[in-house]
Amino acid sequence: MLLRTHLELAKSSLRQNRTRSFLTTLGIGIGVASIILILSLMGSISSLVASQVSQIGQDLIVVRPSATKDTVTSIVDELTSSTQYLKSNLTMKDVATIARLDNVASVAPLAVSVNSLRGENLVPSATVVGTTADFIKIQNLTLKSGTFLREDTKTNTAVIGAGLANELYGTGEPIGKTLQLLGSKFIIVGVLSKVDDPINFNNLDLDQCLFVSANALNEIDNSLQIQQINIRAANTDGLKETIDLIRETLVTAKSGDTNFKVLSGEEITHPAGTLFSIISGILSIVAGISLVVGGIGVMNIMLVSVAERTHEIGVRKAVGASFSNIFMQFLLEALILTLLGGILGLVLGYGVAFGLCLITPFNPYISWEILVIAFLTSFVVGVIFGLYPALKAAGKNPIYSLKFWG
Amino acid sequence: MCYNVGNMPGENETIIRLEGLTKRYGYGDAASFALKDFDLTVKRGEFIMIMGPSGCGKTTLLNIIGLLDTATSGAYYLNDEPVSRISARRQARLRAKKIGFIFQNFNLIPDLPIIENVSLPLVYSGYHKTRRLIKASEALDRFNLKEKEYYMPFQLSGGQQQRAAIARAIVAKPEIILADEPTGNLDSHSSTLVMEELKRIHSEGNTIIMVTHNPSLTVYATRVINMLDGAIDTDVKTVKDSDLPVRVEEKTKKHKKKNKKKRGRR
Repeated sequence: MLLRTHLELAKSSLRQNRTRSFLTTLGIGIGVASIILILSLMGSISSLVASQVSQIGQDLIVVRPSATKDTVTSIVDELTSSTQYLKSNLTMKDVATIARLDNVASVAPLAVSVNSLRGENLVPSATVVGTTADFIKIQNLTLKSGTFLREDTKTNTAVIGAGLANELYGTGEPIGKTLQLLGSKFIIVGVLSKVDDPINFNNLDLDQCLFVSANALNEIDNSLQIQQINIRAANTDGLKETIDLIRETLVTAKSGDTNFKVLSGEEITHPAGTLFSIISGILSIVAGISLVVGGIGVMNIMLVSVAERTHEIGVRKAVGASFSNIFMQFLLEALILTLLGGILGLVLGYGVAFGLCLITPFNPYISWEILVIAFLTSFVVGVIFGLYPALKAAGKNPIYSLKFWG
Repeated sequence: MCYNVGNMPGENETIIRLEGLTKRYGYGDAASFALKDFDLTVKRGEFIMIMGPSGCGKTTLLNIIGLLDTATSGAYYLNDEPVSRISARRQARLRAKKIGFIFQNFNLIPDLPIIENVSLPLVYSGYHKTRRLIKASEALDRFNLKEKEYYMPFQLSGGQQQRAAIARAIVAKPEIILADEPTGNLDSHSSTLVMEELKRIHSEGNTIIMVTHNPSLTVYATRVINMLDGAIDTDVKTVKDSDLPVRVEEKTKKHKKKNKKKRGRR
């Protein structure tokens, strides 16, 4: 009951200074909103990648060259730097070795390079993927028209992503047209249906890629290496055994070289997930700073309030308020301010997140964890920044306070 | 007719006892004494007027009795319980339930309507909001301020504000009412009204200790103390202890006891 009385007192004193209370709440609200926005968008990205893997299937295995150390910088390097291409020790021989193993349904290498392409228009930097015919099966892609790469053709053929086709030829139907890649001519034999997942475990926007035979690409670009080998197992039951078999076979084939990783399930998204965690962590720290600024605002306002209401504190003490009564009254005021800020931040954060979704491919990620984080952060900020003003108010001498007219 | 202090044995029990109370401000050469070896015994139902020049320690005495301040040395017994042994938390509760303060400058909280100002002691006595407001409304009704319950303090005249302050002091039905120059900021008409109210409260058996500079108000008192340099200069009782009013609740208790005895005899 006493808590209810304290709440009533806190509410009535906040109501007396509506504008001030609102502005302080807004400060906290902006801090909480930035955290909500970051967590929501990062959650959206992670769930996007994870859902892609589950869509592709549990029978997917990926071989990647491993970074020398599993550190934050190596993960960032792995995902963002082109130097990763030089580090790869995977070869077409490995692809052939894997293809011969039991329980392996299809194998496709990913040899990625960025080159300029000349079709009817010039695209100065397009992603060219050297792969095999199995790629379309593993990736579950569909063709809008034409065929995918075939192993038995002697001519240089290429399959083009829908987005890139438009850029290169100004049309979505460029079958039969040619393009120049590193001085060699390639003929377009197929166009992929539009794919709307620019963020995926291949780290490629398939809509903007040109697919050519890995062997053909290797002939015109000697420095090219394979960054990833995608494998689909024939049977999911023996997946673990298949992974072990691939690992052992590759180690033997590569004369004991173990600088590669054989991944399946959630491990495939791990580098992306880790990078997003790092980015979201850093951004959360930045948002945390704005929350601290908001908290300092709360403390500032509460200290002003304590100073202004010194006489009131004296009167309350004279009519029977104890230390804890005054302490609770002021602490609850700070808590109400920050909790209201938390609610405002939640609304603002999700509002902006939904707004961003209209122009980006993400969907805001709503989870109870985010709601708890919003509530807890506002509560903790309220307690931390409300503690000192509340102690200051409660410790005031009633006689001096009664003489004080603010 | 005057009675010398301590000569007449009173029926009412002692409510406040101060023994060798000293209040010192500062240290060494800079030390000054607001109270020096101050002894005082207050019986329940007394209306004490404390007079004396400015700086003689009247307000300090009132603050110590009201548990807002502590003495440097000496003993203070409230209802025979040494105050030094009462925790700060319980002292606050005693201020809410047993002691009512009336100040010269009313000390109403300007942002709260009158009814909420009056109900403040009940907030800290643990009353529910509805009950608080009912009791505050009753108290205001007693001082003819019922129709101004939801006025803000600045909308009331000085006399009305002081009556509201008195309503606040008595709303929790305290045993002791401490008034620090309650008529100091009022015109003569308002002063008379306020004093009549205090007289009425006293006639109900409440103990009132009032500080004043106005000698004409001593007619309301049952005891007049003149202070000088932190000590009692003169102490005169104008009413016998046996003639002091008894609180309504105690009257009822005594009456019940009598009836019980009578029934027992039968």
